Amino acid sequence: MKFSFLKSGVEQKKSRWGLFFVIPSILFFSLFSFYPIFTALYTSFFRKKLLSLNPPDFIAFQNYTYLLKSPDFWNSIRATAVFTIGTFIPIVILSLILANFIVSRKKFQQFFQMAYYSPAVLSSVVVAVIWLLIFDPRGLGNQVLNFLFNSPGVDHKFLANSVMVQVSTMLVYSWKYLGYFTIIFIVGLTTIPQSTHEAALIDGASRWQDFWYITIPLLKPTTVLVSVMSMLQCLKTFSTQYLFTQGGAPMAPINVITLNIYHTAIRDHRIGRASAMSVILFFIMLIFTWLQFRVSRSEEVSY
Amino acid sequence: MQKKQLKKTQKGNFLSIIVDGFIWIFLIGTAAFILAPLVFMFTASLMPASDVMKMPFPWIPKGIHWQNYWQGIRGNDGSFIYIRNILNSFIVAGSVTVTTVILSAITGFGLAKYRFWGRNIVFMMIMATFMIPFEAIMIPLYLVITKLGFQNSYQGLIIPFLVNAFGIFLMRQYYITFPDEILDAARIDGASEMMIFRTIIVPNSIPAMATLAVLTFKSQWDNLLWPLLIVQSEEMKTIPQYIVRFISEKHTDEGALMAVASIASIPILILFLRLSKYFIGGAALFSSRKG
Repeated sequence: MKFSFLKSGVEQKKSRWGLFFVIPSILFFSLFSFYPIFTALYTSFFRKKLLSLNPPDFIAFQNYTYLLKSPDFWNSIRATAVFTIGTFIPIVILSLILANFIVSRKKFQQFFQMAYYSPAVLSSVVVAVIWLLIFDPRGLGNQVLNFLFNSPGVDHKFLANSVMVQVSTMLVYSWKYLGYFTIIFIVGLTTIPQSTHEAALIDGASRWQDFWYITIPLLKPTTVLVSVMSMLQCLKTFSTQYLFTQGGAPMAPINVITLNIYHTAIRDHRIGRASAMSVILFFIMLIFTWLQFRVSRSEEVSY
Repeated sequence: MQKKQLKKTQKGNFLSIIVDGFIWIFLIGTAAFILAPLVFMFTASLMPASDVMKMPFPWIPKGIHWQNYWQGIRGNDGSFIYIRNILNSFIVAGSVTVTTVILSAITGFGLAKYRFWGRNIVFMMIMATFMIPFEAIMIPLYLVITKLGFQNSYQGLIIPFLVNAFGIFLMRQYYITFPDEILDAARIDGASEMMIFRTIIVPNSIPAMATLAVLTFKSQWDNLLWPLLIVQSEEMKTIPQYIVRFISEKHTDEGALMAVASIASIPILILFLRLSKYFIGGAALFSSRKG
């Protein structure tokens, strides 16, 4: 900095190029990320109807107070929370186990990784229609369960029963993303130096002890990361629930918050109220993202 | 003494064989559970509807019932709109992929290798958009796009996704380790900054760009929520919307539905099988993502 007055023309030219390279993205984010989030906040204080020619009325916090009193909104919060908790916990536990199992194999590692990952590349819509047919009363779901529990002819009402339909959406989502998070765990596992495991085994630790006292603690950053990432993913779920309701499943048990925003805005034309919901969703996710950043910084393990 | 020792190791071996066997069974069982619905989709797409819903499900099609694919493409109303919708998906996912890769590379390069006033602020601004989920801004974004008159158009489908923070972050991290000496050498040889980007930076970051490309293409191929908001005309719909429409129509043939789903999945599955290392590498990237 001391010699900044000596900055050559070349340096100045370079800095101009740097700015030139980033300007398109700055413009883009200003217009399509920052402007909308502020508009969402602004609109949430108005009673605004889609397609209405009347200017929107300023109603301060009424959209929010309405939502906080609305059983429909609380139902969405409940549906989202139940779905998130019921999905991310099995995903984290199962993908942790699977990753350890895969890494312990000498052969077929590649095959298992690809097989487990494959549902993640399919569109959520395709995934949802496959499972809609599986969950049909005559479908594979009933056949497999009745075979396993030796209970011929029982209909498990995957899509009709209000509890089962929630379990079904969790199952579909876990099925899709299990392999994805398994891969992340595998990467985390491979960063643990082999010598650490060897040291433990030489000292007489069993494989189980090695897993419980070496792998699990050293894998904590990855576990936290996977937990938060899968939670954020679950909070944003839309396609599975939308498709299931289109396929005839009852709406209320799986009316997650994104689905509610969509219906409030597009079917009911209540833009203000939908914006208020968006803002609430934004803050919920902000907390989790902040947690992710904090945790991924503080939980660094060094060897 | 020695005998006792031997016995112990034999017992250990026996146990580890059981554990080993259990792990194999668990892995193979999970693989079967994960692959079965995929196999179901493809086999069911080749069966008449009566076989798809038969109990028990006949896993091997008796004959090949190509009519499902014909029916799926033709649509229940015979409009063949699916062909147009597939084309739309390719256009939208392809354009978004191209712009995301180019803009992420340019911006990432600018942030990694140039010093200019406000660079850190710009970087933090871009990282902040990480925290704005699309679902939270879709309603105002919808108002912006309609105000611009881009409803029912490719512009409307493409513009909100031109570039994203993850792509820029990915490319910046990749470029930061790139040696400055090479760039300076090129400058001394008289290369312009644009030329440096084109002839040195781009060819040297193909793996990162490929990873970003497959991830972007995949997420756009999957996108349902935004097209649902912005597109109403049948001609501008994308594949996910066609599937939604197909499923809500009465008397939809299950075999044809699976044919439609198979057609939607084949391009992305081919991409996955050919470029699996970029897909899997892309998932792995997240685990190295630091705040």
